[in-house]
Amino acid sequence: MMTNFEQIRSEAKAKGKKKMVVAPVPAGMDFTALSEAVSEGMVAPIFIGSSDAMSPWAKARGKKASDIECVEEPDALKALALAIEKLRKGEADILMRGDMAPGPFLGIVLDREKGLLKERVASVVSVFDPPSVNRVTMVTDTYINSFPSIVEKVAITENVIRLAGVLGFATPKIAALSAIEQVNPAIPSTMDAAILSKMAERRQFGDVVLEGPLDIDCAVSRRAATRKGVHSAVTGHGDIYLMPNVEAGLLMAELTVFIGQTPMACALMGVSRPVVLNLPFVPAENRVTEIELAVLLCGRL
Amino acid sequence: MIRSFADMDRLASQKGPKRLVVLAPEDEEFMLAVRESAAKGYTRPVLIGDREKMERLADQVRYDITGAEKIYEKNRQAIADLGIKMLFSGEVDIAGKGQIPTAYIYRAIIREESKAGKGKVVSVVSLWDIEGLDHLTCFTDTGVNITPDYRTKAEIVRNAVFLFHLLGYPKPKVCVLSGKREVNGDIPSYQDCLALKKAAASGELGSCEVMEAASFLDIFSPGRKDFRRGDIDIGKADFPHIMLVPNLATGNILVKLDFAMKNIRRRSLVMSSRGPVIIPSRSDFRDSILGEIAAGVTVAEQIKGGAAS
Repeated sequence: MMTNFEQIRSEAKAKGKKKMVVAPVPAGMDFTALSEAVSEGMVAPIFIGSSDAMSPWAKARGKKASDIECVEEPDALKALALAIEKLRKGEADILMRGDMAPGPFLGIVLDREKGLLKERVASVVSVFDPPSVNRVTMVTDTYINSFPSIVEKVAITENVIRLAGVLGFATPKIAALSAIEQVNPAIPSTMDAAILSKMAERRQFGDVVLEGPLDIDCAVSRRAATRKGVHSAVTGHGDIYLMPNVEAGLLMAELTVFIGQTPMACALMGVSRPVVLNLPFVPAENRVTEIELAVLLCGRL
Repeated sequence: MIRSFADMDRLASQKGPKRLVVLAPEDEEFMLAVRESAAKGYTRPVLIGDREKMERLADQVRYDITGAEKIYEKNRQAIADLGIKMLFSGEVDIAGKGQIPTAYIYRAIIREESKAGKGKVVSVVSLWDIEGLDHLTCFTDTGVNITPDYRTKAEIVRNAVFLFHLLGYPKPKVCVLSGKREVNGDIPSYQDCLALKKAAASGELGSCEVMEAASFLDIFSPGRKDFRRGDIDIGKADFPHIMLVPNLATGNILVKLDFAMKNIRRRSLVMSSRGPVIIPSRSDFRDSILGEIAAGVTVAEQIKGGAAS
């Protein structure tokens, strides 16, 4: 399993160069994370958008704009459609969100017919590299589904288990979080967590250990869990945290980044090809990790 | 103004002892915290609970309770009712939860509030003392209301504003947290944020200000496209005093993330109209329970001193 972001980088570099299509690309776009990934030899970019945008970037790299693969398409929606087509045809491996707001971008990318949606729902996994833990940890869904139903939570769980497999977790330990660790019909997320836990026990998710409902202190502290009478392999050793709703997911991710100062990168799951989202709550320092995660996901979705 | 838990501890030892009724101190960590609070001069405890269990535990932690006032009762709800009644009648200054389901205590508080003609929403305020931040902050409601509607949220804000007034903050800043983001439209919590902003501006929530920010991204990186983790400085951010959480699950998860972070300490309490009720989590250990007792003593002292009036 991946111990930290450095390991994600070295594994991604070992994968060989992937073709990453960036769309839409207007003039003046910032390519900092992309430049780093290109320098490290992980990706070869294909830009779709305004060719003016590429000139300064090419110049900075000692190349002519004509040496950089780009498709002139000033219309943002058409540029994105073209990019998706390239992925569907196998002419590119990864899609990176260019300069289009996440809402409209995801609206197009997650179209089942014309876009890249593959599973029942798409979901975002926030991958953290906490300094005090000897492995990366995953939190989901931190962005897409506002108040997922149990059916959607099953899909979100399957999505994150797929990512965990790619990150080398043979038997991931999963905490289905809620407000309390007891099943209480007045709190629907405790019921959902209990159902997921039962499904896991019957091996409906394959080789995982899933415990729920757990409140956060039981999940992160074995000592606290023992005091509350909760005994599970997951307590204090969770690899994955399933969130009851997006308010908890997004705010937990943000709090961990902003106050916990923990490195974090996101991966979009439930799609047929890796997509780099560049969401606004991802720190600039960790945007390159999102590209590396996408590289690792190539051929594994 | 009480800016830190250190300030609270200082005030508790200066202004103590206060009368603390302890509801079922039948756990070692809790009994140790009560013993310490009495030894430090914060409290004069009144212990209500199962005689045999309390005596055994006191003995175990070498706490001589012969001089302390004791009331023997085994029934959990009766313990909660009795203790909360003592708080409302003014016999004690603070109530503290031991080994008793929290719901029993909330039920007792709601009953007494309604008898007192207040009928107010009961909510838990979880204070955070974050290193590098020059004021206290809190999450609320982290304990009672599962999915509060707008009206309930307004009451929850009022309760927290009242507490911050007691702590010496004349116009606390309130951040109404929301999972609002660029996809899937506005969610109800953001609508509540906008409505609470209006309510605050017209003075309906007491003296406070509801901020523009509705997320940590808004607080730390307002209006920017990009931020660097290395540039984040909580001391320089416009960080709120009160963070209203959209629902119980979110609140409970966020507030307990102090487990996973350095330099944050937490103390939770319920502000009843007659005084503080401290509600340690069943997973809290002696130091944090002692801290919560100090918070209770501080608030009780401020109420007595009329700090909020």
